[in-house]
Amino acid sequence: MEIDYRLAQPLRIEARLTVAGFTVLAGASGEGKTSLLKAIAGLLPAEGTPYEGLPPQRRPIGYLPQGYGLFPHLRAWENVAFPLAGRHRRRAGALALMERLGIAGLAERYPDALSGGQQQRVALARALARGPELLLLDEPTSALDPATRDAVLGELIEEIRRIGLPTLAVTHDVQLAAMADRMALMVGRRIVQEGTPHQVFAAPMNRRAARLLGYRNLFAGSVRAVADGLAAVAAGPFALTARAPAWVGPGMKVGIAIRSEDIALAPETDGVARNDMNALAVTLTTIREEGLAFRVLAHGSIALDILLPRRTEAGTLRVGATALARVWPEHVHLFRDEE
Amino acid sequence: MTDWRGLTFAPGDLDSAFVSVVYSLIALPIIAVLGTPLAWWLARRDFRGKPVLDALLLLPLLTPPLAFGILLASLYGPYGGAGLLLGRLGLVLTNTAPAFVLAQVYGAMPYYVVTARAAFEGVPRELEEIALTLGKERWQVFLEVSLKLARLGLAAGLALAWVRALGEFGIVLIIAYFPHGIPVQLWVNLQDNGLDSVYPLLWLFFLLAMPLPLWLGMVSRRRGIF
Repeated sequence: MEIDYRLAQPLRIEARLTVAGFTVLAGASGEGKTSLLKAIAGLLPAEGTPYEGLPPQRRPIGYLPQGYGLFPHLRAWENVAFPLAGRHRRRAGALALMERLGIAGLAERYPDALSGGQQQRVALARALARGPELLLLDEPTSALDPATRDAVLGELIEEIRRIGLPTLAVTHDVQLAAMADRMALMVGRRIVQEGTPHQVFAAPMNRRAARLLGYRNLFAGSVRAVADGLAAVAAGPFALTARAPAWVGPGMKVGIAIRSEDIALAPETDGVARNDMNALAVTLTTIREEGLAFRVLAHGSIALDILLPRRTEAGTLRVGATALARVWPEHVHLFRDEE
Repeated sequence: MTDWRGLTFAPGDLDSAFVSVVYSLIALPIIAVLGTPLAWWLARRDFRGKPVLDALLLLPLLTPPLAFGILLASLYGPYGGAGLLLGRLGLVLTNTAPAFVLAQVYGAMPYYVVTARAAFEGVPRELEEIALTLGKERWQVFLEVSLKLARLGLAAGLALAWVRALGEFGIVLIIAYFPHGIPVQLWVNLQDNGLDSVYPLLWLFFLLAMPLPLWLGMVSRRRGIF
């Protein structure tokens, strides 16, 4: 399904994207993602397709706001039955839907006696009861318990795939985007990039997109030469080899993005030489435990942010030690430098 | 004080109780039917001149009831503009049952509207929007969501309006001295027979006034009544 919406109020937003399967639109807070969903639901004035000009009650969408918006005065089954008509068929219809989502046991409870994940299921059942052709989810992870978050979301996404309903979820959490069928990035209140998570994560369009996707090493550089699908780029004094995208040519100014977890550290004595491909001699300046991993800041001719897995021998990590930082050419991502 | 053994009512006491209860029971639905949409409108719509309407609504609350009665008498009385027109249609709004109910509505409705408006403002807009996206028309959203979520405040407003209507004295004294309701009858008893003749009717007043607010409070707090 193609979505193309333009808002003037409360924010100026332009969004054009394809929704197929479970699609995630990721963007930082304040990008107007919630406003976009409300506009598609008909709750904010906007121009665009589909559904332009229809009042909200005529749009075939299911909208789950942040916090799910269950009616506190109604039991779970009455919430699900809300869009259904017919005195006696309502209860049967609601219970059948709840059965399908595995929540029939919660039917008699009020929303305040449900966990975040259970409320989400009830809200999903209620949205499905309306018979929508598009599902809109606003920050589906926000009201979930961190411990069970990934499991609950995984099940939700599986359920939505089983039902086969196109779904647009907006979030500031790119981890959710990683689980999607398709994703889009919103930067500066417009869609800057869309595709499968693999495509988008591997090729950020610009600096802000890269930052949103969790890249911490971002440099400006220039292309020296392109040959055999590889590009030689210089980030200041640091010469790097990167896999060359089709658009790249010698002399171009580019942005360089490297993920912290793609950088390895090796002691200089390990037979790794300074003039090996993509090797940089660095001094470790900060070492911090981050959960089970180590976050290391290292300075050579440029500063690097490195995330080392816990299998790293902690003994070799010491502030002031020197080492060689290395990264594979396919993990050095180039983007057109807009600055 | 009250002579419990020889509790006797003054002439006219029971009639006044009947007048007060029956006319208040007529005034209350009028207040609810007119006041609820007005309160919702004030809570949910922004329009030019809203502060003026706010002020108009507060005026009856701020004006001393006696003075308000005089203002109404000059409007609806036999020589007032509206009174003349209505009189031609055969509706006399002084010292009649309609005048009594009118006085109660004017006295009590602002209390209901102010409370009900706050109750509607407390209903999350998001839930009303969700109800729309679930395919309900606006009037269904009002009945099934707004009204039900505001029910505590609405019941409190109705209880206030009931007490105000029953106890209305100042406005009634001016535009509907007859038929006597309990407050006017208390005044008459005091004037004619002295302090002791006031108590029996006062106890009766409490007995009649109490059940409805208590019932409203209980019912509106019970879950799943809808």
